[in-house]
Amino acid sequence: MKYVVRRLWQFVPTLLGVVLLVFFLFNWVGGDPAYILAGKIANPELIENIRRSLGVDQPYWVQLWIFVRQVATGDFGVSWATNERVSQIFATRLGPSLTVLLPLLIISTLLAMAAAMLVAYWRGSLTDRAIMIGCTVGQSISILVYILVFQYVLAYQLGWFPVQGWGGTLGENLLRYAALPVLVGVVVALAPDIRLYRSFFLDEINQDYVRTARAKGLAEGRVMWLHVLRNAAIPIATNVMIQIPGLLAGAFLIERFFSIPGIGREVILAVERSDFPVIKAVTIYVAIATMIINLAADLLYKALDPRVELE
Amino acid sequence: MSLLSIRNLGVGFGQVEAVKSVSFDISEHSTVALVGESGSGKSVTALSILGLLPETATRRGEILYGGKDLLQTPSRELRALRGAEISMIFQEPMSSLNPVFSVGFQVGEALREHLGLSRGEARRRILELFREVGLSDPEVKLGRYPFQLSGGEQQRVMIAMAIACEPKLLIADEPTSALDVTVQKQILDLIADLQRRRRMSMLFITHDLSLVGTIAEQVIVMRQGEIREQGSVAEVFGAPRDDYTRALLACRPPLDRRPARLPTVESLVHAKEERKRGLRGDETVVLEARGLAKRFDRVQAVKGASFKVARGKTLGLVGESGSGKTTLGLLVTRLHAASGGSVLLHGREAAPPKDFKRAIQIVFQNPYASLNPRFSVGQSLTEPMRIHGIGRDEAERRSRAEELLAKVGLPGSALFKYPHEFSGGQRQRIAIARALALGPELVVCDEAVSALDVSIQAQLLNLLQDLQDEYAMSYLFISHDLAVVKYMADEVMVMKDGEIVEMAGSDEIYADPKHPYTRTLLASIPR
Amino acid sequence: MSLWRLAWRRFCRDRVGIVSAAIVLAYVLLAAASAAGWVARDWSNEVGVSYAPPGFLGRDTVQEGLGEVIKAQPRADYGIPDPLGAELADIHANVSGASGRDTRAKTLAFGGDKWGRDVVQKAIKGTETSLVVGLAAAVLATFLGTLFGAAAGYRGGWVDDFFNWLYSVFTSIPYLLLVLAVAAVLDQKGIVTVILVLGLTGWTGIFRLIRAEYLKHRVREYVLAADAIGASNARRVFVHILPNVSHVVLVQLSLHVVLFIKSEVILSFLGFGVGVDTVSWGSMLAEAPSELILGMWWQIAAATAAMALAVTAFSLFTDAVRDALDPRLA
Repeated sequence: MKYVVRRLWQFVPTLLGVVLLVFFLFNWVGGDPAYILAGKIANPELIENIRRSLGVDQPYWVQLWIFVRQVATGDFGVSWATNERVSQIFATRLGPSLTVLLPLLIISTLLAMAAAMLVAYWRGSLTDRAIMIGCTVGQSISILVYILVFQYVLAYQLGWFPVQGWGGTLGENLLRYAALPVLVGVVVALAPDIRLYRSFFLDEINQDYVRTARAKGLAEGRVMWLHVLRNAAIPIATNVMIQIPGLLAGAFLIERFFSIPGIGREVILAVERSDFPVIKAVTIYVAIATMIINLAADLLYKALDPRVELE
Repeated sequence: MSLLSIRNLGVGFGQVEAVKSVSFDISEHSTVALVGESGSGKSVTALSILGLLPETATRRGEILYGGKDLLQTPSRELRALRGAEISMIFQEPMSSLNPVFSVGFQVGEALREHLGLSRGEARRRILELFREVGLSDPEVKLGRYPFQLSGGEQQRVMIAMAIACEPKLLIADEPTSALDVTVQKQILDLIADLQRRRRMSMLFITHDLSLVGTIAEQVIVMRQGEIREQGSVAEVFGAPRDDYTRALLACRPPLDRRPARLPTVESLVHAKEERKRGLRGDETVVLEARGLAKRFDRVQAVKGASFKVARGKTLGLVGESGSGKTTLGLLVTRLHAASGGSVLLHGREAAPPKDFKRAIQIVFQNPYASLNPRFSVGQSLTEPMRIHGIGRDEAERRSRAEELLAKVGLPGSALFKYPHEFSGGQRQRIAIARALALGPELVVCDEAVSALDVSIQAQLLNLLQDLQDEYAMSYLFISHDLAVVKYMADEVMVMKDGEIVEMAGSDEIYADPKHPYTRTLLASIPR
Repeated sequence: MSLWRLAWRRFCRDRVGIVSAAIVLAYVLLAAASAAGWVARDWSNEVGVSYAPPGFLGRDTVQEGLGEVIKAQPRADYGIPDPLGAELADIHANVSGASGRDTRAKTLAFGGDKWGRDVVQKAIKGTETSLVVGLAAAVLATFLGTLFGAAAGYRGGWVDDFFNWLYSVFTSIPYLLLVLAVAAVLDQKGIVTVILVLGLTGWTGIFRLIRAEYLKHRVREYVLAADAIGASNARRVFVHILPNVSHVVLVQLSLHVVLFIKSEVILSFLGFGVGVDTVSWGSMLAEAPSELILGMWWQIAAATAAMALAVTAFSLFTDAVRDALDPRLA
């Protein structure tokens, strides 16, 4: 418990750092937003007005203070593009993102684990090498290609799935609209995951305790699926946790192309439109989520591995 | 009645023949010791009995047990034997136990697998076993994880797991090598006791000859994949016929004598002369430590050590793991900053670091870690010279390096080679040469020969002694091996839990130890 | 024989490694030739008709460009004469090149894009872009990561705390999001921008590894021995420890080249990478969605094939290098 409190305290300097970084990027390096907002036809008066309403005519430390206040209250103002409240945007977009992400995470992890275990057990065999080469090639194809091709062949040509879109109810979304996006996501995630998990399994298979288990007369199946798996689950679980924040933002390509109204798609739109408040807010929110998830990953690690002492 | 018969066993890994053609029998109710140095093939022989070798191993010959050839038995039948009729315990108990399951669970697995006991019955049996192997608080230990137990306790758990199903044959592969001396004795006694009481047969594998006499009736000596000699302990130890066996027996520094030179496997000439050790009391003091102390966080690793080292003499430092002896060595060389006390070089405390480093050098234990793997031998030897500005140019430094190599018995061509091309013993020679490069007055030998085979140890101890005779260097000789320390040291300090509990001349301390810990230590030495 | 020599020998025995190294070398040479202007210099010339199909498909089986597509679609007359009929006929003639004054090719080696630019030349130019970006960004990121990692791992104390703080700030933001955010802000596009963006955000993985290596080596006995013979801290960091860590650095460099090539493709695809006057595999892929609908698959195929081969070869090469430098019982 003390550990959790201490870690929460450690969030503060990191969060401050993120705030500083975001501020530096957007308020300093970023172009004068007034020009962006004013649009193509602008006169100096309009620009001055916009500047004043945004507060960018103030000295930097005042701007920073405003930003810090925004972070603290969770109110980042309104989107420059749609005038929707930024916090509102997030509340509504989180659901769809999760509807795709959670099934993706679960399915890809289970499949990758099973495949990696088998491949590690048959290490050196033809199956092992074929699958590993397949993974290497699979990883070298850009996710863009997977999205485009899958969309074109499976949805457009064959009509098995809707090309894009989103529905009204959870059931409809899960089964119909999320299916192809999840499929694409799983295929993309499998290759690197299988390679990584294979190395985890190999590390464990070479350990002395496996020899002891065999010396006790246990069947190979039990040795692999109980003894080895339980040990390999530790790095696998932490790896899955660490991937989550990346997935949140990384699924943006999938969301963009399948027109899924999730956070990722918002981000891309915001970047295309130079919608600074949205981008800033996303960055801050995701940073906070990452820190919380890292803490959760450490706690999970402790729960799984009795040797770990959290100080 | 022969329980297990091995006939012409051969094991190969790719090109390498780890075991060439080994044949021996293990009778019922008897203990056979399988002895050899590293690389002799003893562990591989043992692992092949239960079929625990990696898949890449090729095997020939026969292993006959209960009328079947184990090398031809299908894996299902073999599994039924493993842990039930033939069990095995290994050298490193910590890594041989699964870290994420409790020890009770792991012992219980063997019971449930072979005897089909229910949870309740298994639990009772496990507690009995724990008591039998001498684990205190068995109920508490049941739920503990391996990392929560000491090395000795872990090994007891392994033993419990192995004897759980009342095997006829127990294979023990170096079960005590990774343990402290005092714990070693306890585990050995336990194993011997169990063997007697349960009338098991045992195949006991070790590199340490002194253990054999206490535990086995038959002994087999192996070298490089072949059996050199086998027979009863009395025969083999009393009147060895094979040269190698004789050499092995002779290489260990004996506790009752101190030959002027230790015989090595190569030189079978026994030195009849004795070397005298001890201090007269009037030698110059090179180094003095006053109240040296070191604290790590909450642990006091060294609690106020004071001693003097005389010129050209050796001060031995004995202790088990965790006693603080290595830390003390590092304090003396100023590689760790002391939390208290001081080190005086020739009576002066504040010697500038460079001078201090020239005068006091160190040779570390692990020959595989103390040389920079990316430096050629020449670079390692000339580096200290370069730092201290010895020698006018590279050429001069290189010729000095060649001289150093000659002193430690290595050819000049070694200059261009890399550490991984040398054996452990040769690497230690290079480390010694590096320590010599600056012409030090005191060399700290921190377990410098402990990681080496017995015959190589003897060579290096002879080398160290020759160098001391030639250069009048002093040594602070740190080791856990009492026999080696007695051989090398003029004065001996015994350390426990950070304190020096006894310090005396080396003859006196072995003849008449005063402190109870010293007495326990000496009593633990197998003879 | 040094460990590098041994590694080289091991590498030479690895057939997969040799083949992938050869492919990587071929790509590098191609990129260099492209940069020097010896090949693909005129990639932006519109040498073919719009959407020219690949020559190997056979002229008679394929529709010759968009002109045919337009011709093939039936038009509903409703019995009313088309007031613009004459003008439309003119345009059609122009588009399908029937007037004869058109010197554009009907088919190209691997097809053409919307403006009739040769796909093969674009792919080659894209190779140059990707490799330059990948290598330069990887070198930058590796340099920063190694420097920071050595400082943090060896010194410890507040230096370590500072860099760890910096690391946690940068890694709190998922990589692609960070890259996008920086790209959004640096509104100017261009190769240098992309290299800076990728290099300044991608040092974190290397930092963590090198820091761990330095932490590990700092307490090794050979470093202690270096202290014993009087080596200064700086000497220990750069002369004694660095050679023992350089194999990690090398492998990380190679890995990051792959990562940055993939990232640049995504950035260019989204329009945040290289400018419009430069071609990248990403910008080729960006034209793909509209092409696929029309059944034109050759540009996406060319870009994917070029990229897949490059990345696969680089990945296998990295694996072979890693195995050669640090062989485990495979």
